[in-house]
Amino acid sequence: MNATEVKTPRPVMGVYDKPMWESIRAGAMKLQRCKHCATWLYPPGPSCPKCLSPELEWTPVSGEGKIVSWVVFHRHYLPAYPPPYNAIAVRLAEGPTMISNLEGAMPEDGCIGRAMRLIYVTMPDGVMLPRWRYEG
Amino acid sequence: MTPSPLAFGGRHPNPRNKRAAAVIGVGHTDWVRDWQRCRAGEQPNDSLGYGLEAFRNALKDANINRDEIDGLIAGPTTAYERMGELAGINPRWGNQADAVLAVSQAVMAIEAGYAEVVALIYGNDQRSVGTQYGGPAAMGGNSFLSYVYHSPWGFTSQGALYALTLQSYKHSRGFTEREMGEVSVAQRGWSSLNPNAIQRKRISIADYLASHYVCQPLHLFDYCLINDGGVALIIAEAERAKKLSSRPVFIEGIGRSDLNRGATSLEPRIDEFYLSAQQAAAAQSYAVSGLGPKDMDVLQVYDSFSVHVPLALEGYGYAKVGEAGKFLRESGIGPGGKLPTNTSGGHLSETYMQGWAHQVECVRQLRGECGDRQVKDARHVHYTSDVAGKCFSVIYGV
Repeated sequence: MNATEVKTPRPVMGVYDKPMWESIRAGAMKLQRCKHCATWLYPPGPSCPKCLSPELEWTPVSGEGKIVSWVVFHRHYLPAYPPPYNAIAVRLAEGPTMISNLEGAMPEDGCIGRAMRLIYVTMPDGVMLPRWRYEG
Repeated sequence: MTPSPLAFGGRHPNPRNKRAAAVIGVGHTDWVRDWQRCRAGEQPNDSLGYGLEAFRNALKDANINRDEIDGLIAGPTTAYERMGELAGINPRWGNQADAVLAVSQAVMAIEAGYAEVVALIYGNDQRSVGTQYGGPAAMGGNSFLSYVYHSPWGFTSQGALYALTLQSYKHSRGFTEREMGEVSVAQRGWSSLNPNAIQRKRISIADYLASHYVCQPLHLFDYCLINDGGVALIIAEAERAKKLSSRPVFIEGIGRSDLNRGATSLEPRIDEFYLSAQQAAAAQSYAVSGLGPKDMDVLQVYDSFSVHVPLALEGYGYAKVGEAGKFLRESGIGPGGKLPTNTSGGHLSETYMQGWAHQVECVRQLRGECGDRQVKDARHVHYTSDVAGKCFSVIYGV
């Protein structure tokens, strides 16, 4: 199979997900921030879970975070992801947690708590994904 | 443990909730037979058929006439109306629910006077039809956004959710891989004594450590089985149960507490392992029943993955927070251990009936019907589950 034919699993694309994925394609991820209580939302949604305000503002994230957990898949579930491959949970500096991948290394014991930096990776089929690498 | 009223919203438990209802009948399919038939490429039955076989067995076990039944709950894998049609039941109250919700709702309906004798029927042909719990068509994705939201990053399958939980738990508590192995080793110890169990070969910690990772840090033996089958229960109002049955098993009390904030990106699992909700559910059920962890003879934990067990030991008050690993090593949960846990072998080794067969094991331990795996003089059995942040505590007693 030609690598370009391997489709990246398509994101859930509700009304509120679209602006986020547009910002990712532009290489500067934005998330909604509550105008009333400054809470950040991930995944995107219709209103703030903390104060219920629907007044949210799309705001660029800092791209800083820290790793809070990780796994390595040893089974083949998805054509775009032959094993072994990793997934990580990153706590964004803004507050929310995001599930993504570590680029440039495999996670290992002792990595929880390390500072992370957001990067943008283009998949073989052209889909842009926000991923992370170790800071520094 | 002294339950604080604050743990359940500041309200004292309603004393009517204590021993409001009792299980008077249990039934299930032959999991071993259907496992072998599925392995041979057959499709022995469909979900409805498994449920109805279990229902016939439950009626026989209860020794009641079907006409006594006035409430019906169908499991989540079959259409409610079709299940009612095939069971020949026109109830005055009905619902569709997963295992622990079904038990809880049956008790609520009975206590509210909407039904007196409720049939709970579950069947699942997940093995023979190849139900997927990972990948693009993951089961449950419509109800739980976390099951599908992270797939662009290759993050899929139920196991991955629990692998991420375990990794963070290991880091936070100093819990080890070897301690995790204690759970599947103990449950195989139990299943080796259970003729209804699909996997009966005992394993050692060395076998566990040598087994391959599916989603690291979870090994093969940390995963539940996927098999076909059905389970049915008949639950009756307490006074009616005493008239209908010579051996009712009472539901002493139920507690529930949910963690939804941050659920899609798995924060309640990664950050606190559902601990606060488990503690709140436990406190509620202990306050209703007047019982605590020391009163329990057997623990049954919903174990789609082995990591549920250490979380439950801490959350429901059996081990101090941070000491589940020590508890598993020193007190023990297998045959001969201080806290017999998942005495059927559970989802890991007996059958994956999504919590339903655990209720049957609770009842049988209390009736003293468990043969080689019987826990002597069992008076109270505790069932706990924390599926997708819905933490439940159900106490059965005789």
